[in-house]
Amino acid sequence: MLSDITIGQYYKAQSVVHRMDARMKLILTVLFIVIIFLCKNFFSLAVMFVLTAVSILVSRVPFRMFFKSLKPIIPIILITAALNIFYVKKGTELLSFWKISVTTGGLSTAFFMAVRIICLIMVSSLLTYTTVPTQLTDAIERLLSPLNVLHISVHTLAMMMTLALRFIPTLIEEIERITNAQKARGADFESGRFLERVKAMIPVLIPLFVSAFRRAYELSFAMTCRCYHGGEGRTRMKQMKLSAVDFAALGVFLLSLAGVIVLNRFFQAMI
Amino acid sequence: MRAFIEFKDVSFSYDVEDAQPVPVLQHFDLAIAQGDFVAILGHNGSGKSTVAKLCNGIEIPQSGDVTVNGMNTKEEENLLEIRRHVGMVFQNPDNQIVATIVEDDVAFGPENLGVEPAEIRRRVDQALRDVGMYDLRFSEPHKLSGGQKQRVAIAGVIAMQPACIVLDEPTAMLDPRGRKDVMKTVQMLNRDFGITVLYITHFMEEAAKANRVVVMDKGRILLDGTPREVFQHDDALRAAGLEVPQATELSLLLKRDGVPLSGSILTIEELSRQLEELLS
Repeated sequence: MLSDITIGQYYKAQSVVHRMDARMKLILTVLFIVIIFLCKNFFSLAVMFVLTAVSILVSRVPFRMFFKSLKPIIPIILITAALNIFYVKKGTELLSFWKISVTTGGLSTAFFMAVRIICLIMVSSLLTYTTVPTQLTDAIERLLSPLNVLHISVHTLAMMMTLALRFIPTLIEEIERITNAQKARGADFESGRFLERVKAMIPVLIPLFVSAFRRAYELSFAMTCRCYHGGEGRTRMKQMKLSAVDFAALGVFLLSLAGVIVLNRFFQAMI
Repeated sequence: MRAFIEFKDVSFSYDVEDAQPVPVLQHFDLAIAQGDFVAILGHNGSGKSTVAKLCNGIEIPQSGDVTVNGMNTKEEENLLEIRRHVGMVFQNPDNQIVATIVEDDVAFGPENLGVEPAEIRRRVDQALRDVGMYDLRFSEPHKLSGGQKQRVAIAGVIAMQPACIVLDEPTAMLDPRGRKDVMKTVQMLNRDFGITVLYITHFMEEAAKANRVVVMDKGRILLDGTPREVFQHDDALRAAGLEVPQATELSLLLKRDGVPLSGSILTIEELSRQLEELLS
């Protein structure tokens, strides 16, 4: 059944990371991405690797969850690794046949890149595992609020994201219902070639669109009835508050940044 | 009691593209007293849903006036205040829930009104307790049953502390159990909090629980009175495409056949008590 789908990939647990302010988590994730691209050698990369590992341990999200989010990326990691192995020609040659040669420099660059990508994926999934989607959209709304000066309605954008998230499960249920209704009338979705199967989806998509518009219409009525009139003068029940944990985490990340800069200077750059 | 919502000589028609506008209400008059529990009964197309939409200025009458607590819905600057006073619950619970977590959805109304965060928190908790959904406050709405979703929608309305709630066929998409829960909640709001209720339905058993029943047909009021009075007119109700509650129908049939039943009968209990007396 599709009814037990969870929106986003929030993993329920009690941890410091879960309790952190979504804004800080978002900022730290961006900061992490910046720092990891600053890493120039294995020593500085090690700092970021340890930071990733510690963050994951503290979050109490089981490791298999991270493996799950890593799985679709594995081909990309392998392809980049392979390209690095064959194209980077540094250090001593280990193997060579025909036009291909493998060097120690190639191997270490491949390994470096793989670790970098893995850390990137892990930390960004950590953000989505420990933060409820609505909190994320809230955080985006608040962080981007300076853009209001440029007459960009950040509130409207965030509301649209929230509503989109809210209606994903509803629309999935609807697809299931329409598909069953069409199957009952003899529609065939499973057989035939790709193009035929795509064509068979049309009788599902058209009712889905019609119903989505009807829902949107009714929802806008309901929101008007509940006094919605845009972001102006609107308060929020859940206030976002930075706590000591948030500042401690920021401190750790800034220390890592300093560590990376120092290690980059003291040891030879390899990239 | 003074009228809280008043319809005065209201005419309303829907615009149809490339055709004559469809008249829904013509010279319609209705006054809903403060604290009353009024059920509006009617067949599809009788104009009962339009009455609901006119109550809080979602639709504006082409002629005549709708006033809520003295405020005319025609005046734009009244609308926010009117909508704060008149909460609305619709038929499809899925299309009125805004947030992905129950308590966030209940908070939506007060947030729009700019209520202080601590006060919103208090109201949300209270509203969820009132409708019996407090234990499920962290749930995701799409995992709830229809009846539970509808109670969340009601909580979202009462968190705005309205004087009146208009429910437009809130139980039409629910199973019998959900229907009962919603009805119980609405009755409690009317009885314990003195909230004026306008309950639009086509279920006789629900209308029978109201203080006053207004039967609509083709945009006019056909019958108006207490449930006991209204359900005596079984022929008129049938002509409007409506049924009479089973107990009432049976008692009317028996009376016509000469069985000496007294008064007007609304519930199965009343009927069985009288029949028992007659047989013993």
